[in-house]
Amino acid sequence: MTNPVLEVRSLHKSYDEGSIEALRGVDLSISAGEYIAITGSSGSGKSTLLHMLGGLDTPTSGEVLFRNSRLGSGIDLDTYRARKVGFIFQAFHLMPTLRAVENVQVPMLAFNRPGVDRAARAVELLGEMDLKNRAGQYPNQLSAGERQRVAVARALANDPEILLADEPTGNLDSVNSARIMEILIGLQKQRGMTLIVVTHEREIAQAAPRLIRMRDGKIEA
Amino acid sequence: MATRLLLINCYSALPKSENVRIHSDFMASPLSFTGFVWKNLMRRRLRTLLTLCGIGMAIGAFVGLVGFSRAFEQGWLRIYSSSGIDIAVIRQTFLNTSVDESVGAKLNALPVVAQAVPTIYNVMDLTPEVNALAYGWIADSFEFQSLKLLSGQPFRDGHAEVMLGDLLADDLKKKSGDTMEIQGTPFKVVAIYHGGSGLEAGAVIMPLDQLQQLSSMQGKVSTFHVRLRPAPPGETAEQYMKSAQAQIQAALPGLRAVPAAERASNNQFVRMAQASAWGTSFIALLIGILGIANTMAMSVFERTREIGILRALGWKQRQVLVLIQLEAVVLGLGGGFVGIALGWCALHVLALLPQTASVVSSSFNLELSAEALGIAVLAGLTAGALPAWRGARLSPVEALRHD
Repeated sequence: MTNPVLEVRSLHKSYDEGSIEALRGVDLSISAGEYIAITGSSGSGKSTLLHMLGGLDTPTSGEVLFRNSRLGSGIDLDTYRARKVGFIFQAFHLMPTLRAVENVQVPMLAFNRPGVDRAARAVELLGEMDLKNRAGQYPNQLSAGERQRVAVARALANDPEILLADEPTGNLDSVNSARIMEILIGLQKQRGMTLIVVTHEREIAQAAPRLIRMRDGKIEA
Repeated sequence: MATRLLLINCYSALPKSENVRIHSDFMASPLSFTGFVWKNLMRRRLRTLLTLCGIGMAIGAFVGLVGFSRAFEQGWLRIYSSSGIDIAVIRQTFLNTSVDESVGAKLNALPVVAQAVPTIYNVMDLTPEVNALAYGWIADSFEFQSLKLLSGQPFRDGHAEVMLGDLLADDLKKKSGDTMEIQGTPFKVVAIYHGGSGLEAGAVIMPLDQLQQLSSMQGKVSTFHVRLRPAPPGETAEQYMKSAQAQIQAALPGLRAVPAAERASNNQFVRMAQASAWGTSFIALLIGILGIANTMAMSVFERTREIGILRALGWKQRQVLVLIQLEAVVLGLGGGFVGIALGWCALHVLALLPQTASVVSSSFNLELSAEALGIAVLAGLTAGALPAWRGARLSPVEALRHD
C-alpha cells in the first residue's frame, strides 16, 4: 500500500477503568483517496475506531498517525478536526437555531475566513448538494434527506482530505440513502477524498472497494 | 450591504408544490460569531427575557440607589461651595461626635481664619410623616449668604424661632408667622428661604442654642465651618489650604481640619447613604449574577450535544469558552441597559415625590451609567465563567453521546 493518509498502530481503547474494552489492538493503514466501509455488530468497536480516526477521542494506548504525524502530539486535534476531516453523523446534528446556509458556515467560524467568503462557500456547497433553494430553511423545515445533505455540505466546508461518516443512512429511507451514498462516493471519486463509512447496511458495506469487519474490538481477518 | 450578500433565486427551479416551503428571495448573509451568540440567546426567549429582567432589576437598583447617594453628596457639596466654607473642623472618630463650642474662640484667633462658625446638623422627626435635616446656626453666621429669603426675617439667637426651606414649608404647609411644634416645644416660623441645594431647601434652620437644647448638646457642636482669609501672593490655593489645615490642627490637637470638598463627600450622612446604596446594590447584583449563571448553566447543559458538534467541527476549547462567555456578557449588557432605564425612571419618580424631592436629582449621569454598564458586563463575565469553563472542557465524543 502506498501513500497512507491514516495509520493505526496497536490501538486500544477502554472505558470504566478498563472494565470495558472497546478496541483491543487495532492495526490499520488507509491510503489517500480510498473508500472504506467499516461494519460489525453493535458494540464491535466500529464507531469507537471512527472517533479515533477523526480525533474525537484519544486512545488508551497505541497511536493514530495522519500523514506520519501522531494525532494529539504531531498535529493538534482541533486543527486536525477542523482542516483535515469532515464528519457526517447518523442524526445529522445540525444546529436547530441556524438556517441551512448558516449551518454550513459553522466549521468555517473556527478560522478567520472573511464573512463574505464563508457565505459564498456555503451557498456553493449547498448548490452542489442541490439545496440552493433550501438555503434559508431551518433544520426542522427540511426533510431527513435534505438535512443529511446539509450535513454533507457542512462536512466539506473546510475542504477536508478525509470524510468520516457514522451510519450516514441510518435515519433515511432507501431513496435518500441511495442519494447520500451516491453523493459521498461521487465526492470520493471526483475530489480524491478518503471516505470512511461506518454502516450496518450490507448493500453499502459490500459496495465499498475495501471492507473492514469489526468484532469484539478487533478487525476480523 | 448589497455586495456582502448573495441573492439566491429559487422559485423557477422548483415544482409548484414546493414553492410554499421556501422563500422566494433569500439573502444568504454571513454567519458571524456574534450572530451565532444572538441566535443562541433568542432560542429561549422567555428565559432570556426573565434573565434580562433579573439583571436589569439589579442594575436598576444600583443606578437608583447609587444615583440617590451621589445626588445627596452633590447636595452637600453645593451647600459647602455656595456658603463659602473652606474648611470644616471636626473630631470624626465615631458617628455623631461633637466638638466643644469653646474651640470657636481659638479658631477665630488664628491668623489664617477669617471667620469660624459653629454648626450642628441632625435629622429630626418634625411630624410622624415628615423628617428633615435640622441645622443649628448662629444668627450672624456667614452661611446665611447661600440662602435667599422668600418671606420673613432671619431668626434671633436665644429665641424659639425657625426658618424653613421652601420645599419643607410646602410639605408642612407652613408660612412665615405660623407656629410649629418640635419635640413638644412651640417654635415660630420666622422666615421661608430658598436654598441652592435640596438639602437646604428641605431643611429647618434654627438658632444653635435651641438645637443644642433639643438634642442635649449644650456646649457642644457638630463642627466648625471656617472661611479662610485670602491666600497671600505667590501661594497656590492648594499650598494655602494645606498650610491652613496644618495651622488649625497644630492649634487644636485632637481635631481635624478637612477641606470643604472632602468633607462634603465624606461626612457621616453621605457615608451612610453610600454604604447602604452599595450594600443593597451588591445584594441585588449577586442575585442578578446568580440568575445569569443559572441561565448559562441550563443553556450549556441543554446544548451539550451541540457543543460536542462544534468541537467535532474543529472549534477550539477557547472558542467554545468565548461563545458561552459572550452570551453571558450580552445578557449582562442587555440587563445593564434595561437597568439604567429602570434606575433613571426610579430617580425621576423619587424626584417628584415630596418626601425625597429635596435630595434626588433626576438628571442623566453619564459616569454612573458607564459604571452601571461596566458592572453589568463584569456580572455577565463572572456569571458565565463556570458554565463556559465546563462547556469548553467537555470531551467531544462524550458531548455527542449526551441526550
